[in-house]
Amino acid sequence: MPNHHRLCLVTASLLLAGSTSLYSQTDKPPGDKYVSREEHEKLKAELNTLKAQMAELVNATAAATKRPSAEGKTVVRTAESESGIDELREEVAKIKQTAERSKPGTTNFLLTGYGFGGFEDRPGESGKFTAGLSPILLWHINDRLFFESELELGLAAEETEVHLEYANLSYLVNGYITAKVGKFLTPFGTFADRYHAAWINKLPDQPLAVGEDGIAPFSQVGAQLSGGFRLGPMKLNYALYAVNGPRLVTDGEPAEMGRLMFDSNFTDTNSRAYGGRIGILPIPELELGYSLQYVTGPANARLHAVDFGYTREFDAIKGKLDVRGQWVWSDAGRFRFVPEAEGDEAAPPPITFNNRRNGGYAQIAYRPTKATNDFLRRFEIVGRWDRLNQPTGFRLAADEEQWTVGLNYWLGDSTVLKGAYEFIHRSGGESGNFNGNALIFQAAMGF
Amino acid sequence: MKTSHIITPLFTGALALALALALAACQTPKPAATADAAPKSAAPLADARPEKSGNQLWAENCTRCHNNRSPAAYSDAQWEVAMHHMRIRANLTAEEHTKILEFLQSAN
Repeated sequence: MPNHHRLCLVTASLLLAGSTSLYSQTDKPPGDKYVSREEHEKLKAELNTLKAQMAELVNATAAATKRPSAEGKTVVRTAESESGIDELREEVAKIKQTAERSKPGTTNFLLTGYGFGGFEDRPGESGKFTAGLSPILLWHINDRLFFESELELGLAAEETEVHLEYANLSYLVNGYITAKVGKFLTPFGTFADRYHAAWINKLPDQPLAVGEDGIAPFSQVGAQLSGGFRLGPMKLNYALYAVNGPRLVTDGEPAEMGRLMFDSNFTDTNSRAYGGRIGILPIPELELGYSLQYVTGPANARLHAVDFGYTREFDAIKGKLDVRGQWVWSDAGRFRFVPEAEGDEAAPPPITFNNRRNGGYAQIAYRPTKATNDFLRRFEIVGRWDRLNQPTGFRLAADEEQWTVGLNYWLGDSTVLKGAYEFIHRSGGESGNFNGNALIFQAAMGF
Repeated sequence: MKTSHIITPLFTGALALALALALAACQTPKPAATADAAPKSAAPLADARPEKSGNQLWAENCTRCHNNRSPAAYSDAQWEVAMHHMRIRANLTAEEHTKILEFLQSAN
């Protein structure tokens, strides 16, 4: 082999051995002083990520503590300045509220009231939808003078009926006496004065004897003194009044003969009525009341009533029990009814009877106000018995008795859906004995 | 006059009254209601305190007729008008009226 070929071979061998050695060094497992390229790249990537996150955090913190001022300058706010600003805001809100209250005519008037819509299917009538609205206008003139009024807008077959439930001006004489003049809900029993509003009455209709078509006064025109005071641990409330008297029915429907109609605001017969009610509350949950009304003039009647109410929550039954009732007696002396002749037939003989009627209701309601389930808490079951007795010996008017069961669902404090089923029994009257049922639904809202 | 129809309701009423009084007698003392608590009945006669809070008076008087409306239902000015109306309707004393109004205006 020539020399230069030998030299080339040795050089190539040396080079090959060197590169092999170098290659093996790069694959060498990391020791204490060295890391692999893979690890190096990994560490480098993590470092870059941390740098980016740190930059983001710094930017976010800077943005949260800096706010541009009204002049467009950026202002840095501290915890102290935040607290001071909050205090200033509260003060400004108070000043605004005081300013609003001081404005004349902006705080004295309040429009409240209630409305309802429903459906009723009664025996002898076709089922029908009903609706009504009763706006209540309240005017707080000053700390002593107050005006209140309630209109009742209802539906008749062909028109809308407007009825003035009450409109009166009252004056707080002192802490225990309020003087009132105008038309007011008669403080005779408690149903008319307190329970008749659709969102307060726990059933969709009113009791026979004490409702607006009953035998008890509902609202009358006159003057009244009323108030409440403590007597030791008990409380008493009272009302005394003088009003225009009721109208005595002497013509029209035979079944109505001798009835006292309290829906007439005044009559031409100079009839007056004087009366009052006293209520005793031996404990806050229980009230017992007695009412009396004396009617002068052609009617010459005496009416009296007893009422009770008890409301309390009990842990044992996980809810609230509400028991209330009222019974009315009406005595309008003796009445002589002279029937009219019909067609060619001779007129029936006159009927003279003791013009005494009585009636009332008792009601119990339970609501599981302490149930853990909110849906259950809104339900309420109600049961009511009511009765109206016509004068003995006057068979043209029927005695009537009703048993009603109801289920309510309270959507809110003053909004309720009601459903009720009535078992009705009538005895006597022109149509004779009758048994029937009624189904009534109502949605009522107080506002 | 149908005496049976007097006796029956009188008896029913007397029973209801007796039941109510018996329930009232069996009630146990309850702690005073706080402004944040749901309305609760007042303590019985034996534990009656001469001074009751506005919250307690609100719970006792209003719930006799209707569900208690939340204090948030009206503004301070509206409560002033509404409470004057309720004072007349419920025959509240001046003290009851003032305390209940203050409670409602503070809790709305």
